[in-house]
Amino acid sequence: MGVPKKIGVYFCQKEAALPMPVDWDAVAEYARGLPGVAHVEVRSPRPAPDPEVLAHEIKKRDLKVVVVAGDSPGHFKPAFTRAVALAGGEPTEVRLASFRQHGAGADDGTERAKAVVACAVHGVPFGLAASPRPTAVNPATLVIGGGVAGIQAALEIADAGQKVYLVEKTGTIGGHMAMFDKTFPTLDCAACILTPKMVAVGQHEKIDLMTYAEVQDVAGEPGAYRVKVLKKARFVDPDACVACHACMEVCPVAVPSEFDGGITTRKAIYMPFPQAVPNAYLVDAAACTYILSGGKKCGACLRKCAKELIHFDDRDEVVEIEVGSIVVATGYDVFDARRIERYGYGVHPNVLTALEFERLTNASGPTGGAIVMKTLRRNKRTKQDEWVFDAEGPRPGSVAIVHCVGSRDKKYNPYCSRVCCMYSLKFAHLVKEKLPDAVCYEFYIDMRAFGKGYEEFFERIRLEEVFVVRGRSAKVVEKDGRMTIKGEDILKDRLVEFPVDMVLLSVGLEPACASDRLAGILGIDRDEDGWFRETDYNIDPTGTERGGIHVAGVCQGPKDIPDAVAQASAVAARVLKSVVSGRGQGSRASLTVEEIESRARALAGA
Amino acid sequence: MAIRANPRLVEELEHYGAEDVAKCYHCGNCSAVCPFSREPFLFPRKSMRYLQMGLEEKLLGNLEPWLCYYCGECSEECPREAEPGETMMSMRRWLTSRYDFTGISKLFYRSWKAELAAILLVALLTGAGFLLFGFRWGGGHLGVYAGEGAFLTTGAVHVFDWILGCVLAAFLGINCARMWWFSIGKDRTLRIPPLAYLRQAFLLPVHFFTQKRYAECGKKRPWAIHLALMLSYTTMLVLIMFFLHAMHSERTVWAAHGFGYLATIGLLGTSIYALRGRIRKEETHYKHSHETDWIFLILLVFVAGTGILQNVLYRVFHLDVAANVVYVVHMMGVVPMLGLEVPFSKWAHLAYRPLAMYFSELQAEAIRERERAVAAAGAPLPA
Repeated sequence: MGVPKKIGVYFCQKEAALPMPVDWDAVAEYARGLPGVAHVEVRSPRPAPDPEVLAHEIKKRDLKVVVVAGDSPGHFKPAFTRAVALAGGEPTEVRLASFRQHGAGADDGTERAKAVVACAVHGVPFGLAASPRPTAVNPATLVIGGGVAGIQAALEIADAGQKVYLVEKTGTIGGHMAMFDKTFPTLDCAACILTPKMVAVGQHEKIDLMTYAEVQDVAGEPGAYRVKVLKKARFVDPDACVACHACMEVCPVAVPSEFDGGITTRKAIYMPFPQAVPNAYLVDAAACTYILSGGKKCGACLRKCAKELIHFDDRDEVVEIEVGSIVVATGYDVFDARRIERYGYGVHPNVLTALEFERLTNASGPTGGAIVMKTLRRNKRTKQDEWVFDAEGPRPGSVAIVHCVGSRDKKYNPYCSRVCCMYSLKFAHLVKEKLPDAVCYEFYIDMRAFGKGYEEFFERIRLEEVFVVRGRSAKVVEKDGRMTIKGEDILKDRLVEFPVDMVLLSVGLEPACASDRLAGILGIDRDEDGWFRETDYNIDPTGTERGGIHVAGVCQGPKDIPDAVAQASAVAARVLKSVVSGRGQGSRASLTVEEIESRARALAGA
Repeated sequence: MAIRANPRLVEELEHYGAEDVAKCYHCGNCSAVCPFSREPFLFPRKSMRYLQMGLEEKLLGNLEPWLCYYCGECSEECPREAEPGETMMSMRRWLTSRYDFTGISKLFYRSWKAELAAILLVALLTGAGFLLFGFRWGGGHLGVYAGEGAFLTTGAVHVFDWILGCVLAAFLGINCARMWWFSIGKDRTLRIPPLAYLRQAFLLPVHFFTQKRYAECGKKRPWAIHLALMLSYTTMLVLIMFFLHAMHSERTVWAAHGFGYLATIGLLGTSIYALRGRIRKEETHYKHSHETDWIFLILLVFVAGTGILQNVLYRVFHLDVAANVVYVVHMMGVVPMLGLEVPFSKWAHLAYRPLAMYFSELQAEAIRERERAVAAAGAPLPA
């Protein structure tokens, strides 16, 4: 290498940015000890680096290479490039050491940051020097979550001839997509796309489907994991049940249907929806009278089942499986609209959330797809009035759609949920399609129609005479006996107040409630919003810090169906690569800073 | 009309307490939840826009900050936590400094040290002046508080009050005229008939004495506090300017002193309430405090406290020497408060708020008239 290069390391922090958990002074101290480092400086956020001042400094210290380190150092690169050029140096010799990009977000963030700086000082890509050691791989794969991403990943891997275990928490696979009416922007029938895939999963000889089951514990090493799966008692043998519905017809218990977003009820013995996979009944132990009474009451279904398939003595069981790779595709929960009181969800009967509207407008929903307002009806059994959807109920004359409910709001979720703009536009289209005379208002802050065909879909909605109001609506109030929505139209500089019959709240996406626990079980990291953290946002969006564990779909961050499917296929390719080559990736965390540094030194010397 | 953008406007407003203006993404939530915002004056979002774009001229002619009473709903509901309410407050400070032609207001708002130094200087000069006057031209005897041979004669103090009052009125009057020029006079697109000025003039006393727009806020307590403070202050001002003889007389004149005690209770109660609120930071409009807010409140408590103290010392304990000393100290608070705070700092809003209500109604009328004219011109002619 000859004369050691003179390297300057500058730590730069952006103002008002959420800092990574890194002890900068410790990293700076470490950087001082690296070979060739002549100058280390930890800069405060203010003032922003001035190229001319920097150039003077670089010249004075005779620095040949500048490393800009920090959470997002790319922000400062232009200033340093210019400074180096002004100082007469080589502008290409400005290197970045990004803590955020290389996952210094965990508890050992400081150690990771040191390694990232070491690689930059040596001029070696971090991914290269810190590539985990290869491991042997068990060819079987576990997929956690049976939504569209999990289904896609499972099918891709199984179709390649490899064994897949698919674990799903609810009684059926299908996830949220099975609930949707149409997809955007193509307006395809969501169920028509998904159900064939669900059936394929159910019938695949290489897929071991475990529904109503949860991952309880993960032990072992990358490439050789031992997983304990809790199979909750279904009380009905799914392989033998022929779904004759006889049991359901006699069950006296009614609870809100999860699949219908709570707008209809289901029985205690139920099939989540007619196309469920497995197409079999199960018993909700928390609602069943027979189970709750310890076998003293009811038992109607038990007597009715002609095949005698209902076994109330079924118990939860734990099975242990051995897999080499794990695909996490646990999806999301939707934002609870009750948290924003001013939209009146739960107060005004005709304020609906997105999932409720999806079910309402779905041909398999309670009204056969007719968009109606709720009507007040007396429940004969409970003797109470309740608001229900009736296919013959009054059609709304005006519908308002409110974007960004719980998203892009620092009080709730600061991030953009990414799908709401488009599904809101889809709702507007469905309203205008089914009720051409209805007035439809769309309240938005920024229209994020970013995908293929999305902007065109937005244009189409405008042509369909939807009133698009730029400005987030502020509140839903009762005025003169009518529900009224208020907001500011910022383009027209007007306060608007529309009487409406129905309000649809475009609620955002949130990490699934159990993802915290699951992250602990799997030993993977979550980002500040609670989504699972990928190894590298840009070039490894499916990997995690733990070798052999991959993420797909919304559990990694909000995304729409095409993106979730694409990511799932990408994960399948990753898994198959390790299975076919017999070499899997170990965990990066097993590498020490010294190891990474010496590897980088060796690579730089080579 | 070309509009010049001042890219440093946000930076400038930061000196006046503006925070995080860049955070605003214009969802319009604030303008829609604001109980005071109504057409044609939709705020605070539009003012945030002017600020982000650096439209200094627009902001200077903007009366909207004065229409805001800072009930805090916008800041509570802001999804970006951009503090629109506090930004409106800082715009009021900035406008106060721009209305003021002397530049003193600007100096005070940008440097609390300068304001404090000026207050101390004026206080010391006042103290020295009154002592000098008392010993040289007054009764000359510190032991006589009122009546024959009083250390500070009522007549002399009265004359001093009126001179001070006239100087202040002149300063404030010029600033108010500038406010009119920036918001109405300069805008050639607005035609306001002179009669309208007369017709709407009743708005001035109405808004001054009732602060009624503040009462439109969902929470009534801030309005009640604000009104009590304002009325107490005005009562005291009237008593001092017109009934100083009664206030200084040896026996208690209940017709005057009764009001005086009520006003003192009002001043002390409300200003201590506000101080406590600003320390606790529980209510949104007390969350952010500019240095001038503290100076203002502390000065108010000081003046009201010494005012009642000298009264009690004289009337209850008959300690004339102590009462005279406290009176001089009291004046050392009164003169800087009136002389500096009224024309150049926070007290000025006493005049600007009702004026803005008045001016904005004139503007609104002119805007509505203009819209009618445009609509009439645009409508097809009858066949």
